[in-house]
Amino acid sequence: MLWIKNGIVVDPKNKIKAEKMDLFVKDGKIVDETKVKKQDCTVIDASGKLVVAGGVDMHAHIAGSKINTGRTMRPEEMRVVRNIAGKFRATVGRVLLTAPAIGYEYAKMGYTTSFEAAQPPIGALHTHEELDAIPMIDKGALPVFGNWHLVFKCIEEKNMEKLKALVAWAIERSKGFGVKVVNPGGVEAWMYGGNVKSLDDQVPGFNVTPREIITWLIKANEELGLPHSVHLHCNNLGVPGNYQTTIESIKLANGFSNAKRQVLHVTHVQFNAYAGSSWRDAGSGAAEIAKVVNSMDNVTIDMGQPIFGHATAMTGDAPFQFSLHKLIGARWSNKDTEVETGAGIVPIGYLPNNPVHALQWAIGLELGLLVDSNKVALTTDYPNGGPFTEYPYVMAMLMSKKMREGELSKVNAYVQKATGLTSIDVEKTLYEVIHMTRSLPAKILGLENKGHLGIGADADIAIYNLNPLETDTSKEFEKVYKMFKSAEYTIKGGEIIVKGGELVKEVYGRTFWVDATKKADIQAVMPDIREYFNYYSVQLGNYGVEERWIKKPARIEVV
Amino acid sequence: MAVVIKPKKFFEVCVEAELTPELALRSVDEVKKFKVYYGNKVVELGELFEVAKQGDEKKLILDGDFSRVKWIGARMVDGEIVVKGSVGANCGAFMRGGKITIEGNADDWLGIEMAGGEIIVKGNAGNLVGCAYYGDAVGMTAGKIIIEGNAGNYVGEKMNGGEIVIKGNAGDFIGTEMRAGVIEIHGSCGFVGGDMRGGEIRIKGSFELLPTFKKTEKGWVGDVNVKGEGVIKTF
Repeated sequence: MLWIKNGIVVDPKNKIKAEKMDLFVKDGKIVDETKVKKQDCTVIDASGKLVVAGGVDMHAHIAGSKINTGRTMRPEEMRVVRNIAGKFRATVGRVLLTAPAIGYEYAKMGYTTSFEAAQPPIGALHTHEELDAIPMIDKGALPVFGNWHLVFKCIEEKNMEKLKALVAWAIERSKGFGVKVVNPGGVEAWMYGGNVKSLDDQVPGFNVTPREIITWLIKANEELGLPHSVHLHCNNLGVPGNYQTTIESIKLANGFSNAKRQVLHVTHVQFNAYAGSSWRDAGSGAAEIAKVVNSMDNVTIDMGQPIFGHATAMTGDAPFQFSLHKLIGARWSNKDTEVETGAGIVPIGYLPNNPVHALQWAIGLELGLLVDSNKVALTTDYPNGGPFTEYPYVMAMLMSKKMREGELSKVNAYVQKATGLTSIDVEKTLYEVIHMTRSLPAKILGLENKGHLGIGADADIAIYNLNPLETDTSKEFEKVYKMFKSAEYTIKGGEIIVKGGELVKEVYGRTFWVDATKKADIQAVMPDIREYFNYYSVQLGNYGVEERWIKKPARIEVV
Repeated sequence: MAVVIKPKKFFEVCVEAELTPELALRSVDEVKKFKVYYGNKVVELGELFEVAKQGDEKKLILDGDFSRVKWIGARMVDGEIVVKGSVGANCGAFMRGGKITIEGNADDWLGIEMAGGEIIVKGNAGNLVGCAYYGDAVGMTAGKIIIEGNAGNYVGEKMNGGEIVIKGNAGDFIGTEMRAGVIEIHGSCGFVGGDMRGGEIRIKGSFELLPTFKKTEKGWVGDVNVKGEGVIKTF
């Protein structure tokens, strides 16, 4: 039992704006004062400190074949030793961290939940083995659907019952959490060396278009009533002029609604918000995208903010990765995941004096600033945009124009004419930034007990040595950055895991997965699945992950 | 003053010791307290080696078999190291100046990412001479490596300057992904210059040419796969 005394609580979900109050924790949950015996509580004196929910990262690549291949092909990343084995496990990694390092670094920063954003269903076992190796945080994984032959087949046949059955079956088999769509149709076209260029291009070999794939999957997702919406990585990622494709894709959410959450989440939008016709005249399409997102109440986005320094581009978008490799000449690895999807990996570094990188950096911030705080979550699309350990930098930048002006003077002047960042006066409040890093991502994912501090919420709490009543976030950005970098306390499921920025206890979080099999007639699709398994490298009986193989599974049943 | 270092025993596991001529400026007691890795343990140099002073130059004399001691002369900037036996891996790695003379053989990773200075090996050298360390984009950028004997595979991989001279034979994949600099082989070698973008490889003996090089007046130019302008020629 914990008694967090006199903290200054910011809890956007429960509309608490910097109020001095006490919190009580029992059995890993936040409880009412009357439920605990105060004399038995461990007391944490949080006077003058900021108390918020543990951070929720809704889109990061933290486990599975992509990050592992990235580690293999980037031995230079492994030269940074973070922790020598002792009470805690040995950890290495500059930006591409080893599994335990991922858990430790999130915890030190006050983050307690992170979701792997792209899991090929056939690679689910690997992903879960690796998620199980990540300590400290709660996790989940989103299986990818946008290029799966079986999905195409269901859509070709215009058979919604079959598609729903397939989605429910695959999420159950892969112990996944929702529906991720990566460059719909494009990765299949890549199997023939091509890509799709617009929402209405036909996917080679199938009578479907990206537009149909997205709308059909949104429809299936909503009919199944999954906690999370369709999570879309748009077509034409990384191509100048792609912001129009992004806007068209966002508009596909028109006509769908859900009382609880968005019906379409568009991810790492920075990579999909370029205007212009080539990298020579590329500009920002962030303002146009922001206008569209702000005008719709059923779409959310996340930033995909690049951080200057090292990064590794790794997405399920195999054709994009190849063009990136051709563009910058760096190493490249391609993955072809049977009939389901593909992926690619390319090392990259973001340099402030490179006009393109500076442009990307500015676009990310523009999105964060121009889009309504209730619709944009903070991410770096780790490790594509850079390390998640620099979230505090992004938080501080959003809150301070002065900090942005300082940083703008260090980057290539191209951003002054190609983006509108210099003329944006918006300074997000601490309340809004806490929302963008806690309550909003939790709401987007559909995790009701995460991202807030109301009664019944998971006791995932971060305490920072920052008094929100006395701090001017607009001027004291250095302090804000430093304080968010290392939490005074991180509490996970009611246990103190970090104290004074140092790890004190290793715990293992749960792996959330969604069971929607009761919402669809699985048998409707089984004959097709059986037939397709003639083309798989594994037998149907060996496909997928059993719940008992996962360290701490947390099943969310959709009824 | 020159410092003489002698192994006390045969090392069961490799020692990692970044011994540089800077040590010659310290007292014998200070040198004995220098931290080195013996396997996974950090120990003081004095536990594994005998240390004595001799003369007054900025010079390190390594007397004995150092074939299980890695990283000798790593990151050195000036002064001299003389090894009166063989050395272990990574000798002269990242060195920027000074001179290393090895009277015996050198192991793999000799002079990796070297940016200045000179290494002379009287015996043979292993693989990956003057190349880039795991994952890095650029290998040796300046300086000179002379090998009196033979060398292994991957000599001068990703090399971007400087000179490597091999008096004997060399293995395969010489100058792979090379961008600038010179490799001179007095004996014979295997495959040469794959994905070479620039620089020059001179070979006296026989070698295997890849089909991606064009015959010109300057020699064979390529690798055309990467639009390279490297030159391979005999002398």
